[in-house]
Amino acid sequence: MTRTWTPLGAWAGILADGHVGTAGAPGVIALARDGLGVATLIAAEGGEAALAAALAKRPGLDLPSSPAVAHAGAHSLVWAGPGQWLLVAGHRAGFPETLAALSCLAAVSDQSDGRAVLRLSGSKIRETLAKGCMLDLHPSAFPVGMAALTAIAHIGVHLWRGDDGPDGAVFEMMVPRSLAGSFWSWFAASAAEFGCAVSVAEMTAGRG
Amino acid sequence: MRIPCPHCGARDAQEFSYLGAADPQRPDGLDATEAAMLDYVYQRDNPAGRHRELWYHGAGCHAWLTVTRDTRTHAIESIEPVRRRGAGAAA
Ligand SMILES: [Zn+2]
Repeated sequence: MTRTWTPLGAWAGILADGHVGTAGAPGVIALARDGLGVATLIAAEGGEAALAAALAKRPGLDLPSSPAVAHAGAHSLVWAGPGQWLLVAGHRAGFPETLAALSCLAAVSDQSDGRAVLRLSGSKIRETLAKGCMLDLHPSAFPVGMAALTAIAHIGVHLWRGDDGPDGAVFEMMVPRSLAGSFWSWFAASAAEFGCAVSVAEMTAGRG
Repeated sequence: MRIPCPHCGARDAQEFSYLGAADPQRPDGLDATEAAMLDYVYQRDNPAGRHRELWYHGAGCHAWLTVTRDTRTHAIESIEPVRRRGAGAAA
């Protein structure tokens, strides 16, 4: 008998495709992102310029020096504190090689299996997040491309605003994987009154 | 109370941890007298007014900050990253 080991996504057993709360057209849309490559980068003391030059070459990203996110192709680079960034890749193919190339310029820590990411949108997403997020997410205070580190329901959250989609503003929220269940319990309860469509992103190639 | 983090912007105080007075400097290791260590570890002023203190933005950017605050009103006069104090700064 052949046994196959399949790694579970960060949201497996926590949420599934479906609808939460009030029936009808959903006010909130939650997409569980799976199979992402995620890593923290901490520049060596005084080594920020060298790291910036390397990232500009591959994958072609500008190092944000304020709480913001930069995108290039399948990669995003999110500010994570002074001298620290989060590298997010849409898939894991080639991700270890990308990290290896950066390892002499920064302290690189692969967090692909350590973090869980939700993509949130919908006409009632700000009302939902306002129940627990201490930040002002109004467009005038939190424009497209802005990032922040904060806490929601006592859980450390890294969030950034992606480009607007068909359902309006898009917020990416990343939490430690071990707290994904707790975060979802807060989020699902907060979104229930507006109705929330839930889906899990297709597994992508290169998952490892 | 809201603390205007120089990296993150104004945030609720619950995102931060308080360490204490910013000015006491640890005496130099084995050369320090007992009295100097006692002063460093235990003796603190308790001013009603201007106070320089250390805060850690644990739920945000993970930076240590030097905050100058009026203890009577919580008004913050200035705030800067501890890192700016130079290499080898405490905390
Ligand atoms: Zn901060």
